[in-house]
Amino acid sequence: MSEKNERKVMLVPCSGIGKVHGLIGREAVFRVAGELRPQDTELACLAEIVTQDKEIRERMNGRLTITVDGCPKMCAEKNVRLVGGEIFTSLRVVDAFRTHRGAQAGSATELTSDGWQISDELADRLALKVDEARQGGNKDA
Amino acid sequence: MLEVKKVGIISCSGEECAGGGISRLAARHVLESTRPGRTVTICLPLFLAGGEEERYFARTFPTITVDGCEKRCAFRATEKLSGHVTKALTVSDILGAESAAAPSFSQRQLNPELERKIDTVSTALTEAVDEIMGKPAAAEHLLKPTVPPAGMRLL
Ligand code: SF4
Ligand code: SF4
Repeated sequence: MSEKNERKVMLVPCSGIGKVHGLIGREAVFRVAGELRPQDTELACLAEIVTQDKEIRERMNGRLTITVDGCPKMCAEKNVRLVGGEIFTSLRVVDAFRTHRGAQAGSATELTSDGWQISDELADRLALKVDEARQGGNKDA
Repeated sequence: MLEVKKVGIISCSGEECAGGGISRLAARHVLESTRPGRTVTICLPLFLAGGEEERYFARTFPTITVDGCEKRCAFRATEKLSGHVTKALTVSDILGAESAAAPSFSQRQLNPELERKIDTVSTALTEAVDEIMGKPAAAEHLLKPTVPPAGMRLL
């Protein structure tokens, strides 16, 4: 394992607040950071990354990061790149819906049981990506 | 002189501490329950992109930012990348630094204490909306009631 990979993997969900997708991604990230891989991961606020301040640029510079975005605008991925973060992979909530066509997932305020299921499945995928990142696996991006 | 008809709310939704989650849920509560139809929101990072929707939002609505902690990222990012902020609220000012700096929470962990805190912040936010509503728009930030870009979904 390289020196860089001995550090925790940074997880950054997008700040989607208008639709359910942002909440699904946010909850998936909290599940990984809080329960599935707490020792291997660290969180950074996307809003702070967006400011591009010196402090956050220094913290993110070269940090192996996995982003989770709610829609194709890919705000988390784009902004992490802008502050020098190294994207290991970018997960998209819309992809997590592919196996749940027609699911009523809830709203940006709360998830239904369908929404929690989609979020938990995304969290499982994310945890595996964290393991790959820690083991120095190939980056997707 | 034009009157303010809707107010934009931008929450930091910060992921690193409880204050960010409280800012997000307080904003959602005002958008959905206390002032629906009078308030709108947009994802904060979109301000950076500066596309048609963001320009519409920034040009059209007086904006309240709601930040989780004293770093005030939503306020600073909005001022830097988008435009004028009419009012800036911070969870740590309203609830105290300790409540804001507590670990971030999943909505699975919501409990009566967290709900009380969210309620306190949403009350402050509702008052801030009311303070701005109905007032004449400041001349230097003249509000132009324009047609939203096609496909834009305002809450
Ligand atoms: S990726 Fe989409 S849902 Fe997420 S913050 Fe950006 S615009 Fe909002
Ligand atoms: S204001 Fe605080 S909680 Fe909100 S994004 Fe910035 S650092 Fe995170």
